[in-house]
Amino acid sequence: MPSEGIFITGLGILSPLGRGRDATVHSLKNSVSGIRTINLFDEAADQVTPVAPLDFAFEAEDGVPRTHAMALAAARDAMEGLDFAPDAVVIGVTTGGMSKTELLLQAKVVAPEEYAYHGVGTVATYLADRLSCTGPALSLSTACSSGTAALKIAMEMIRHGKAKRVLAGGVDALCRFTYFGFFSLQLLDPKGARPLDRDRAGISLGEGAAMLLLEAAQSPPPHAIARILGSGISCDAYHPTAPHPTGDGARKAMQDAIADAGMQAADIGYINLHGTATRDNDASEAMALKAVFADRMPPLSSTKGMTGHSLGGAGAVECALCSLSIAESILPGNIGCTNPDPSLGIVPLLQPEIRSVQAALSNSFGFGGNNAAVVIGSVNTRPPDRTESHPQSLKITGSSCLTGAGGTEASFQKFLQGVSLAGTFGSEEISKDLQQRQVRRLKRISRMALALAAAAHKDGGGKTMPSSIFFGTGWGPLSETYDFLTKLFESNMKFPSPTDFINSVHNAPAGQVAMEFKSTGANMTASGGDYSFEQALLLASLLAHEGEEVLLFGADEMHRELSPLFDLSAARDTTPSDGGGALMAIATEKPAAGPVLTLRAYGRSQQDAGQTIMNSLNISENINTRYGAVFAGIPLAYEETAKDQLKSFLSHSGFHGTVIDYRKYTGQFATASAVAAVLAVKTMEKGVLPAGLTGDRDVSLEKKGILVMGLGPYYTAMDILN
Amino acid sequence: MQETQTEKLQIEKLPVEKLIEELKKKVLDLLNIQDVRPETIDNNAPLVGNELGMDSIDILELVTVIEKDYGVRIDNKELGEKVFASFASLAHYIHDNSTLV
Repeated sequence: MPSEGIFITGLGILSPLGRGRDATVHSLKNSVSGIRTINLFDEAADQVTPVAPLDFAFEAEDGVPRTHAMALAAARDAMEGLDFAPDAVVIGVTTGGMSKTELLLQAKVVAPEEYAYHGVGTVATYLADRLSCTGPALSLSTACSSGTAALKIAMEMIRHGKAKRVLAGGVDALCRFTYFGFFSLQLLDPKGARPLDRDRAGISLGEGAAMLLLEAAQSPPPHAIARILGSGISCDAYHPTAPHPTGDGARKAMQDAIADAGMQAADIGYINLHGTATRDNDASEAMALKAVFADRMPPLSSTKGMTGHSLGGAGAVECALCSLSIAESILPGNIGCTNPDPSLGIVPLLQPEIRSVQAALSNSFGFGGNNAAVVIGSVNTRPPDRTESHPQSLKITGSSCLTGAGGTEASFQKFLQGVSLAGTFGSEEISKDLQQRQVRRLKRISRMALALAAAAHKDGGGKTMPSSIFFGTGWGPLSETYDFLTKLFESNMKFPSPTDFINSVHNAPAGQVAMEFKSTGANMTASGGDYSFEQALLLASLLAHEGEEVLLFGADEMHRELSPLFDLSAARDTTPSDGGGALMAIATEKPAAGPVLTLRAYGRSQQDAGQTIMNSLNISENINTRYGAVFAGIPLAYEETAKDQLKSFLSHSGFHGTVIDYRKYTGQFATASAVAAVLAVKTMEKGVLPAGLTGDRDVSLEKKGILVMGLGPYYTAMDILN
Repeated sequence: MQETQTEKLQIEKLPVEKLIEELKKKVLDLLNIQDVRPETIDNNAPLVGNELGMDSIDILELVTVIEKDYGVRIDNKELGEKVFASFASLAHYIHDNSTLV
């Protein structure tokens, strides 16, 4: 991408500092803190700690959760005056519709339509819908680094030529779930967040949304605010919640971001810290900063003493603040800190400073050891020309799956016979080969994740460890979510389980796998309903380096109470089912000997979805010479639409081979496509579609590939070729 | 006089020992630690960093249950370090502060 840059041409922000550019800059200049002591959730007097809510009104559609409304308000501000739709929407978010869901569950509401906005992935699809975006709507849930990770993904989509204009950001609203969760972890400072202070005692929970419109251009567009120059992500692979004691992962993310921007540490003029004000974060971040900047520490501050910590929103809010810092020459003060902790060895700006800087670094770290850093530069900074490889495909080296029938072999044998794999396999059986110590506090989905990862790794020869992990889940850890809320409500907000809280984040399963494999590269969790596994594949094809070994997997758990409320297809299914699939793979740009997995299409279904999928396959030859079978994903809730789409695809493509509606075998759950991908790999290894599947006779694949399609409100196409 | 004192001491001593046993079972059960038997745990060994394999998250889980079951709140790190030094110190702290035992 020589001489082209990525510019921030639109910015929407709703934070405790106000709404929009002017209000935010005014608050930064005057060190206005949005942290206040109020009783937000009718908590007991001894549970009240200061929080940072949005104390202004903003537009919200009826029935839409606060997180979604905040996100849309910020998105509309970012797109104001522009008459196009973004090519893609990428959102970092951790709670989704939880602020609404928790009240519904407390009131024992059992109407699934009330929970339509529960899913973490629904924030991105809601924005895409309202902004008429027909490209991918991706949701990242990597805890408190989600917002920053979203900007990284958006950058890579542009660099890979997948999009020209991407709306990216992060959002989270205050809710009981996170408030009482952090309270149970004793991480809320009763005196309000005091980042980097000698007496700091934890975070103040806040809420916020920030959306940035990123545009590729040869020269700065007239309305450009700043440019995004580089980004880095890493995983500690150390502990589910505690940061690495010497900040190794944080250091790597910062160094990668600076190198990615083509800069040296000395080029950074300001750092917006993660600076949550917990004892551990600030100590670990300070160690990492000293390792990167040594005795040339640039001015730095944490803005969380003003904004509070908005979790998935924080990274995007702080990247927006960095953009404004650069555009308006204002470096924010580290409000809340009166006595900088001498043991940290870094001293923040205690007051705001008017100063022009060319480049700023923004840090975000989260549960699961997820670290992300972004470098933002002034509009006139010139990034270096880039020559980089873009691996597009994954050469599969090992695979595994879990279904109601059991593990890989049991599932595959039943599949070949054309027998249903639907159902739920026992949690104890799933983890029977795992160390009891390792799984003692893990519930279903994290056990599934570890079992899938171990089996795929073993199948791949079990020698080297994957450096990056990509995980897709439609609904995340439902058992922990349900148990946390049940104990919370039963104890009148007093005794929820801290273990359930930390394991309830969507990225907990991937974090467990990273710790097991010591995978310190990218660690990404995507959540997008029935297309979550495909989103994870998209992230892998954007982030994995040439030749890098990765683990790609998807899993969902069936929960008796929650699945029928959240997943409309599961609600209609007669056999409650769950499972997942995992692939060990090597990222590759050049065509390699198979099997090779490639994502061919991902977008929002229009009237001509069948034709769109066909076009995106970019086939010059006859489709029947490339594919020996099509595995079609038909979610029960969208059966009619999906079947029409499939019919249209078949008629446009002229494909006349075997078509398998794979959910008829796997049962209905969001990541059924992960199982389908693994079954496709296994079928290709066998080379024959048996009579049990074709319903007629054995059909040789003749070394042809298999196309795995996802249908419904979004369409996806991934193929496995030899 | 002396007799009464001895008797009083025994009455105080018994609940603490019982409490230690109860706490050991409770911890193993709560934290799903299946490969350690309560009678093999040293009363004076630290809870974190021994054969139980407990960490800070387990301690927080324990804090919740101790408040729920005994009405004793341990809400800061300094106090926690003192109280969770061993099963004996934990039992003594609960014994001295509980409204429910």
